[in-house]
Amino acid sequence: MTKSKFDVVVIGGGSTGTAVARDCAMRGLQTLLLERDDIASATVGTCAGMISSGLKYRDEPDMMKICSKEVVYWNHIARHIIAKNPILAPLLDLSDAASDSSYMESYSEHVEERDVPAMMFLTPDASIEIEPMLHPEIIASVYYEEYFIDPFRLCLLQALDARNHGAEIRTYCEVIDFEINDKQEIEGVIFYNRVSGATERVETKLVVNAAGPWAHKVAKSAKDYLPIRLNKGAHVIFDRRIVNIGITVKAMDGRWIYLFPHENTTLLGTTALDTWENPDTLVASFDEIEYLLQSMETVLPSIREARIIRTMTGVRPLVPDWKVPERNVTRGYRIIDHSENDGKKGLISFLGGKLVTCRHMAEAVTDLVCEKLGKDIACSTHEKPLPGNEDDVDIIALSKEYDISLHALERMRARRGTEMVKVLELTKEHPEWKTTICTCEPIIEAEIRLSIREEFPQTLNDLRRRLRLGTGPCQGTFCTYKAASILSDELGLAGDDFLVDILDFRAERWKGIRQSMRGEQLAQEELAQGMYACVGNLDQSDVDYDVKPWEEGF
Amino acid sequence: MDENEAFEYVKSTLKKEKITPYQSDELEIVKSIGACINCGLCINHCPVVAAVGLDRFSGPRSIAVELSRSPPEFWATADKVYLCTGCGTCREVCPKNVNIPEIVNVVRANIFEHRPDLVPKGLMIVKEIIEEHNLAFEPWEDKEEKEESRDMRLERLGLPSIPDIVKENAEVLFYPGCQAEERAQEVREAAKAILDYFDVDYTLLDEFSCCSLPSQLMGDAKTARKLAHQLKGKVKKLGVKKIVTTCAGCTSTLADLSVRDEWGAPAYHLLEYLVEEIGFEKLADALKKTAKPNDIHVSVHDPCHLIRHTSRQVMEHALNILRLMPGVRVSESVAHDNCCGGGGMVSFHASEVANSVVQENLIALEKTGAERLVTPCPLCTAQLESNLFKSGSSIEVDDLTVFIAQRLPKKG
Ligand SMILES: Cc1cc2nc3c(=O)[nH]c(=O)nc-3n(C[C@H](O)[C@H](O)[C@H](O)COP(=O)(O)OP(=O)(O)OC[C@H]3O[C@@H](n4cnc5c(N)ncnc54)[C@H](O)[C@@H]3O)c2cc1C
Ligand code: SF4
Ligand code: SF4
Repeated sequence: MTKSKFDVVVIGGGSTGTAVARDCAMRGLQTLLLERDDIASATVGTCAGMISSGLKYRDEPDMMKICSKEVVYWNHIARHIIAKNPILAPLLDLSDAASDSSYMESYSEHVEERDVPAMMFLTPDASIEIEPMLHPEIIASVYYEEYFIDPFRLCLLQALDARNHGAEIRTYCEVIDFEINDKQEIEGVIFYNRVSGATERVETKLVVNAAGPWAHKVAKSAKDYLPIRLNKGAHVIFDRRIVNIGITVKAMDGRWIYLFPHENTTLLGTTALDTWENPDTLVASFDEIEYLLQSMETVLPSIREARIIRTMTGVRPLVPDWKVPERNVTRGYRIIDHSENDGKKGLISFLGGKLVTCRHMAEAVTDLVCEKLGKDIACSTHEKPLPGNEDDVDIIALSKEYDISLHALERMRARRGTEMVKVLELTKEHPEWKTTICTCEPIIEAEIRLSIREEFPQTLNDLRRRLRLGTGPCQGTFCTYKAASILSDELGLAGDDFLVDILDFRAERWKGIRQSMRGEQLAQEELAQGMYACVGNLDQSDVDYDVKPWEEGF
Repeated sequence: MDENEAFEYVKSTLKKEKITPYQSDELEIVKSIGACINCGLCINHCPVVAAVGLDRFSGPRSIAVELSRSPPEFWATADKVYLCTGCGTCREVCPKNVNIPEIVNVVRANIFEHRPDLVPKGLMIVKEIIEEHNLAFEPWEDKEEKEESRDMRLERLGLPSIPDIVKENAEVLFYPGCQAEERAQEVREAAKAILDYFDVDYTLLDEFSCCSLPSQLMGDAKTARKLAHQLKGKVKKLGVKKIVTTCAGCTSTLADLSVRDEWGAPAYHLLEYLVEEIGFEKLADALKKTAKPNDIHVSVHDPCHLIRHTSRQVMEHALNILRLMPGVRVSESVAHDNCCGGGGMVSFHASEVANSVVQENLIALEKTGAERLVTPCPLCTAQLESNLFKSGSSIEVDDLTVFIAQRLPKKG
């Protein structure tokens, strides 16, 4: 039942917003999260998922300390969606080695609590044995380890956990205005429901603005002001794990870039460009792709031959430090209490921050919220596990019990941990739901059905974020229609909605594919085009569909 | 930590994360798999999928787009990857030449290293035999019994008995392979008879050892490398110029190893050797001299390791040789190039799968009306023979080497 009065309304369903909603709900506050699109649909969904030691921020020792501590917490509350990556930084000349010594020291300060070794040097032979693609002339390499989390699942699990603790989570609800009384206090939030088309309002005591790169716009709709520095970052995504371990290297401009195996793909990133563009329509540029490829080529000469499946682009909502390059901008975060600067009372905004620190950010803001509400309740988000993390899962036993392939179950485990049993239970009554829908990932029908029923997706893109639907090498060449029919069945979508959703999903894939399309991926796109244009006749469809800005030429 | 300790540490982390670094010679394979466009063409051609269905064996496409993408998860493919017979049909039909049989070996090697508990028991038994004897089959305990068995076979098949020769600097090393060395001894003897008939200067190995294919297929990469190394040593020591074998699996393996490890001696199947080195003319002369041949109606089975791992031309040679034989009529079966199910070590742990794969061959074979099936591989022979026998068929099976040797006149 939708309530109309809340203690706190959280704006934004990224890593920050979902962490805040979870913390508020766990402390017993009446919490509403409003997200204009879907959970993890913006910046966080384009990040590398590294919950890093913060080693790039050696000038911010406090920040490094926080990062390190957070890694320990994540491994405690979300280990089922975390993997460890061994990483090599190959060195081509001695000056590289000298400039790195301070990194090595600061990285090594907190290694014990994270259960990783101090940084160490490897010989060229050892390095090449570990990664035969390395340039034969490297003189040494530095080895270290970092943890990675699935950013989509993390946000979703935080949102689901918030809901389990009584919060309301509403996606496709865009905050457009605020009700502000004479005392400049926020009393209510007005939002547009993008699914129903209705404008709704709720009362609230406080608002936490976690709108990421839109935070300044949200502040503006409260007739307030929030300076921010927006910074574009792009990744190139390769099919499968093409390297045995992560590789980091200094790019041509001296920034660090990386190539990380991530789930069953490999990420090459990132760029950093100050931007004023609309974050929704940004795509990676040719320059960014070349910058990344050429920089990585210095130590991995064959990288260009590997198959690129797509790019992804996001916008970092940085603290507005001016007159410094992006890499010197703090990765710490700021909590702006607008009431302190003669602004609106009851509005609290975030600037900066990282994925790794989202729980920490939430704790800090929830402390402030509680203080304002006159409550004294301790934070427990670092102690209580996220759904699915309760226990180990015996995949082999489950595979026998439910007669589903080991690999399909292992992939499901990486998304759901112990909660996967709910999916499997569905197959008891419906053995036909064991059918594989997305062949690359793979995803079975029962998981799609369960996700639709319990994880509130509205579109195929939402399913993608929850299940990795269509994220493999074929980029949804074959799963789209199958998944769309299941979605339509569960949500009762009409024929036109079904087609529009397919077009939206294809458009979103195209957004990432178009920029980097080359080599092996060209053959795939030919096939996909044959599939959707020649077989599906989608290019001739007369449904009411708005062409996206990146779909030029239609 | 010094650099050596550091390396040991890193290796231990990789082990914990179930990562076996790809070797440089595996990078090409990995790259080829990355070319898969998920078109699914291969699925309809995979003999295992056709025989047992996609639920039991998810097929070549799933190996390419799903199962081989992330080494730390390779262990979770153990219920599927051991069912691939490595026949190479998928690779042959694939528009992108995706090298499924090879990536299967890479995946199996990862499982062998990190989760040996998930390697099928039947394969682990073979592994122990190989470790102990350097052979894929338990050797005869009693040498005399082995000889008796051999002589009985020679007598039954009317093949001459030719003493073993081991000498250095012969032109050719005849390498029978484990099956012919220990079990199908008639194939070994028949090959010797043929080489002898054509006055080929050949030698056997002093001590026979496995070509390494079974170890490769079960994922025991270390033993595979050890066996390959051992064999190279023997070949070098003997100083032969060419290697000839009668086993399809050995042919492709030795050919690959000889290139990869620079043996300096190319490997041939006996059929290739006969056609390319002896020549049709001599063969025709010899076969024509056979005393009063009985008319016989045969069909042919193409071993995967020849047609898809070596060259389809080998079976062209086989047919051309059969055509030279007076009284031999050949009818092609529509399933002549369908895998017999015995490949990829599948028959060692999932014989029911291997045996359902071969059913298609059996049905097609009955339709030809042939009374005999010939094939140039002792392993295919065994798999087809036992299944024909079980099905109550009257069709007999001969290894093609034996079939040829039987049709050569007495030397003199
Ligand atoms: C390329 C790249 C790589 C990165 N890699 C890492 C990394 O490896 N590790 C790491 O720790 N950090 C990384 N980061 C940083 C990290 O991703 C971000 O700092 C963090 O995820 C931001 O999360 P957020 O919730 O603040 O923003 P977002 O994820 O952008 O969430 C904001 C949400 O607010 C919603 N919203 C906006 N306006 C409204 C409105 N009016 N009404 C309702 N909802 C609204 C948006 O739809 C959006 O979903 C990376 C960033 C980039 C760009
Ligand atoms: S090699 Fe043969 S058995 Fe293995 S997947 Fe390919 S077609 Fe199927
Ligand atoms: S392996 Fe080849 S035939 Fe099979 S799906 Fe991939 S591209 Fe198509």
